[in-house]
Amino acid sequence: MFHALVAIKQVPDTTNIRIDPETGNLVREGVPAIMNPYDAHALASAVEWKRKLGGKVTVVSMGPASFTVTIREAVELGADAGYLISDRKFAGADTLATSYVLAAVIQSIHEKDPIDVVFFGKQAIDGDTAQVGPGVAVRLDLPIITYAVKIRDINLAKRHIVVERKTERWTEVVEAPLPALVTCEKEIAEVPFAPLPDLIRSLRYEPEVLTMESTGIFDAEHVGVRGSPTVVFKMGTPPLPEAGEKINSREIGVEAAVATAFAKADAAGILSSVLGGVK
Amino acid sequence: MNTQDEKIRFDAIVVGAGLAGSTAAMMMARAGLNVALIERGQKAGGKNYFGGAIYTHAIGEVLPDFMDRKPPFERPVTEAGFWMLSKDGGLTKMTVQGGKLGAEPADAYMASRAVFDVWWAEQAQREGALLIPKTSVVDFIRDSAGQVIGVSTDRAQGDVYAPVVIICEGVNNLLTQKLGLIDHDLEPAHVALAFKQVIALPMDTINARFGLPDEKHGLAASVLGDVSLGLPGMGFVYTNNTSVSVGLGMMLDAVVEYRLKPYEVLQRYLRHPAIAPLIKGGQLMEYGAHLIPEGGYRDMPKLYTGGAMVAGDAASMVNALHWEGTNMAIVAGKLAAETAIEAHKQGDFSAQALSQYEARLKDRFILKDMKQYRNFARFLETHPEFMDAYPGFINDALGQFFSAYGMPKKTLFKNILGSLTSRRQLFKAVGDMLSMGRAVMGW
Repeated sequence: MFHALVAIKQVPDTTNIRIDPETGNLVREGVPAIMNPYDAHALASAVEWKRKLGGKVTVVSMGPASFTVTIREAVELGADAGYLISDRKFAGADTLATSYVLAAVIQSIHEKDPIDVVFFGKQAIDGDTAQVGPGVAVRLDLPIITYAVKIRDINLAKRHIVVERKTERWTEVVEAPLPALVTCEKEIAEVPFAPLPDLIRSLRYEPEVLTMESTGIFDAEHVGVRGSPTVVFKMGTPPLPEAGEKINSREIGVEAAVATAFAKADAAGILSSVLGGVK
Repeated sequence: MNTQDEKIRFDAIVVGAGLAGSTAAMMMARAGLNVALIERGQKAGGKNYFGGAIYTHAIGEVLPDFMDRKPPFERPVTEAGFWMLSKDGGLTKMTVQGGKLGAEPADAYMASRAVFDVWWAEQAQREGALLIPKTSVVDFIRDSAGQVIGVSTDRAQGDVYAPVVIICEGVNNLLTQKLGLIDHDLEPAHVALAFKQVIALPMDTINARFGLPDEKHGLAASVLGDVSLGLPGMGFVYTNNTSVSVGLGMMLDAVVEYRLKPYEVLQRYLRHPAIAPLIKGGQLMEYGAHLIPEGGYRDMPKLYTGGAMVAGDAASMVNALHWEGTNMAIVAGKLAAETAIEAHKQGDFSAQALSQYEARLKDRFILKDMKQYRNFARFLETHPEFMDAYPGFINDALGQFFSAYGMPKKTLFKNILGSLTSRRQLFKAVGDMLSMGRAVMGW
């Protein structure tokens, strides 16, 4: 039986987010909360493999009680069970403290019910760090495959997974022993339109809530603000790049315009670094 | 886990979590029925939009303690009436304030449907109704005798069974048509396209510009005259806490026939010299539009069949002249629910049993008003002068009356009469007033 664990995060829908020009902070008011899109695709992949191999999908998330809706959404998309790690003591966690808490919870689930593959989105669209998945892999000493675009095979008998991962230059095909941790691109799987029985089950689903006390697995030194060495000094929007110089080919002719453009680029040292200069 | 041979069953299905639907779900759940409230949008009422203000008499009928539940209202309507715009920039206001409009809770409150409908559906959920979002009902399931026994949705394994279905699908009543309760699609001549902007302004600015003492006072005005290019239509202005809703409704056939661009008509209205200063410097927060079924009584479908009933916009329950629709939807939802509860007690969901719904509607203002106003929609089509000539005349007449021209008053009154007759022949004007009275009184 296949057991997949998917870590999911609730994020503000950044497609229509605004930045307060005076404070530089995100304006969260009126911005809908959604499941981090990469996580949704990772979950979709986990559910596809569950359907192929038989087994189950467990989701975990860390956040306030309002994250329950995101766990419900995961159940709608095919998760069988969900844990919400929710405790005021965990608030203010950076990626170090977050990966500590998630790793501890995943370890404790694994001890009761061995996990074959841990799925993460490649990053969250609010923080964009892409650090928590790798952080968890290191803490649990799991092989990690980042930027996965396709899972070619999960073989429970031979205990391995074969994954295509995207790099800037090419696609790599990587094999790793199970259990392994995979962080996913959106191409990994399409998010399904859930069957009605799954949706109905999700609407009344109550996730198991894990707190500092109820689990007793956390060291207070490593959670929340105390466990987070990262400090945000200032937030702001980067200045827009200034408009470049226009060379009007109608006024000086195409030939002259091209020559001018190349001369300027050469003078700025751009061409020499790319093409070895123009002769 | 559900498997395919395990049917999804409820005691009742409501299609659409707008005001009628959530009301029906709330009442039936309160009576102990297991209710599925199926909504195609992400959220309850996610596809809804109105001017607008919402009436409390209907809300109180369903939830007597509604004020304790902190409804997400904007300002109360403490001033209401007509504004009449003239082509030369004039504005005559005929509004009432104080008196009954000062009551607490108020008769009506400004609201945003995107917020209010979610809250209203939450009240249904508190009673135990199950809100199933992001799911469209596409057809009905019927037994061999043709009686409705459930619905099918656009999801896999998406059939849901219940002995009674209340259809509150809104203006675009495809399911009502599918059930054969009405034999035609929406007709452009009987549907209004309403469009509006919500413009953010500081609270104090709104108070000062609209002459409101504080944020506990609000204005709701119907705007006539130089609004809809002389075509059948009406504008509106509503003051929210920190924004103003301004827009207008026009009959869809006119929009199509004259190839009007709604945003251009709206911009023209917003640039009127009497309107522009009210919204100057505001930030545009929202622009939206929605259809309103204004065909009235003659456009109402048959309201029930075996196993199903129709309520709200889907049943054309709108009184255009009085801006009523939300209140009718809520009361109709309640009456449909009462009928369904009774049907469950009797174990009889036949058309005969559900005909009680229509009887209940006849007892209340809904079918009484719909019937009385049955000619009103056609009246406006044939009397565009109420949109154009008369508001212009009233501005002109009052403007002359309250000006000292240094001329004998006899000349003044002659001029005022001339102002009317230049717009409309006198005998026709008298005839217009009589027809208006007939249309409203239903004679």
